[in-house]
Amino acid sequence: MGSRTAITVNRPEDEIRRMWQDPAFRPEYIGEVDAAVTFRDAPGDRGTEIHVALPREAPRNKLGEVVQKVAGSASLAKVKDELYRFKQLVETGEVARSEGSPEGERAERKLKQRPAQPLKESELEKAGV
Amino acid sequence: MRANVWSGRNTVQVENVPDPKILNERDAIVKITSTAICGSDLHLYDGYIPTMKKGDILGHEFMGEVVETGKGVSNLKEGDRVVVPFPIACGNCWACRHELFSVCENSNPNSGLAEKMFGHSTCGIFGYSHLTGGYAGGQAEYARVPFADVGPIKVEDDLTDEQVLFLSDIFPTGYMGAEFCEITGGECIAVFGAGPVGQFAIASAVMLGAERVIAIDHVDYRLEMARNKAGATDTINFDEDPDVVEQLKVLTGGRGPDAVIDAVGMESVSGHAPLQAIERVKQASRQETDRGAALRDAILACRPGGIVSVIGVYGGLMDKFPMGALMNKGLSIKTGQCHVHRYMKPLYEHVKQGHIDPSFVVTHRLDLGEAPNGFETFKHKQDECVKVVLKP
Repeated sequence: MGSRTAITVNRPEDEIRRMWQDPAFRPEYIGEVDAAVTFRDAPGDRGTEIHVALPREAPRNKLGEVVQKVAGSASLAKVKDELYRFKQLVETGEVARSEGSPEGERAERKLKQRPAQPLKESELEKAGV
Repeated sequence: MRANVWSGRNTVQVENVPDPKILNERDAIVKITSTAICGSDLHLYDGYIPTMKKGDILGHEFMGEVVETGKGVSNLKEGDRVVVPFPIACGNCWACRHELFSVCENSNPNSGLAEKMFGHSTCGIFGYSHLTGGYAGGQAEYARVPFADVGPIKVEDDLTDEQVLFLSDIFPTGYMGAEFCEITGGECIAVFGAGPVGQFAIASAVMLGAERVIAIDHVDYRLEMARNKAGATDTINFDEDPDVVEQLKVLTGGRGPDAVIDAVGMESVSGHAPLQAIERVKQASRQETDRGAALRDAILACRPGGIVSVIGVYGGLMDKFPMGALMNKGLSIKTGQCHVHRYMKPLYEHVKQGHIDPSFVVTHRLDLGEAPNGFETFKHKQDECVKVVLKP
């Protein structure tokens, strides 16, 4: 289960499929790593489930296994970020930003939060505002 | 601007920080005219909520004047007077569409942190740790309000700040606690905790038609307020007699209250000194995050088939939860951070019609610069403190 994740987005499947291809929404990283993406109508009129399975290459040795474990988990975190950002963009039109996480949901930010106070001018551009 | 920031356990200080800017199109900037210290701010102050960071601006109960709006906000304009709900909610996700605003699926940019803690993410909250987003709070001169097209309610009537400020949190929170009790008229309701939320839970239970409302606390002046201002019919001071369950039974003819409201949360106090000592040690040594004296008594006191309404804030894990009593008596438990957006308009109408004047809880009015004193006075219940309002 370590290389699979899923999210539900509150829109019909045809719309989700279209937006998934739209450059304004398309998650880049998920495309790059060649993950298997499937869409499924969510029960009870809840929109669409997006399932992502990361490709898994057989590790050549024990070291490779360890490397894959570390790198693999990192990329799954990135996939989760992208799915969440996609959901936010589709449902709300924007990616939620806080003062602690001004770029929006980012795995790298989880352990390196800014204090929750307004950004300085110099930080705004860096955060992509 | 000036802002009250957390700088470690039991320490807040007023500092100069940059003014907030619009970060997203659905943001607005509000110039704050009144802001309050919440009982749940004390959990942060006392260091029991993880993921706080030095420099975090506190405060999630605030109101003021709109000074700037993003391109996506068309319902508000410069100069509008608004009260801001403490949960940040997008209004678009499945949860928001079902009026479950405090579990909005899109407003927490640290959802990964929250998922680790709670299994799922909950909404973003102003000034309430990084687990709920890392949003700057409202104990400041200005605040950025995300999803401003959904949250803030306009105040267009001749009402004072103190009459409407508590629509941001404690009035709806107390009201939701009473609403959970499914009052249809004639019930006995026990409210644990006569702090500000407890006062509004009592007042709301009375408004909804409860016949007997029993307030439980160990601070006399708060019980007095419960009786004289909020409308409690009976009070129990557990410092005088720690056996709250037995007293509630007697007060209800042996039946037990039809519903019990926990308006205490994770730092509850027991009248039994040895139990209190054990729990304090466990919490301080992080063997449990949540002390549970009030909730345990509430469950034991509730009549079979009754409702346990939990609006006090809990953060993690509690020891010795009386699951047997809950299960065998067939109780229902209802809980949650308040879905404030759901209640703001109807409760605003109640205030406008004069059914309730929420300003009755205010005991202290301080300049924002005095926030550190405000926290100490509130925490130690000095000077008969119930609610502190700060003026930026």
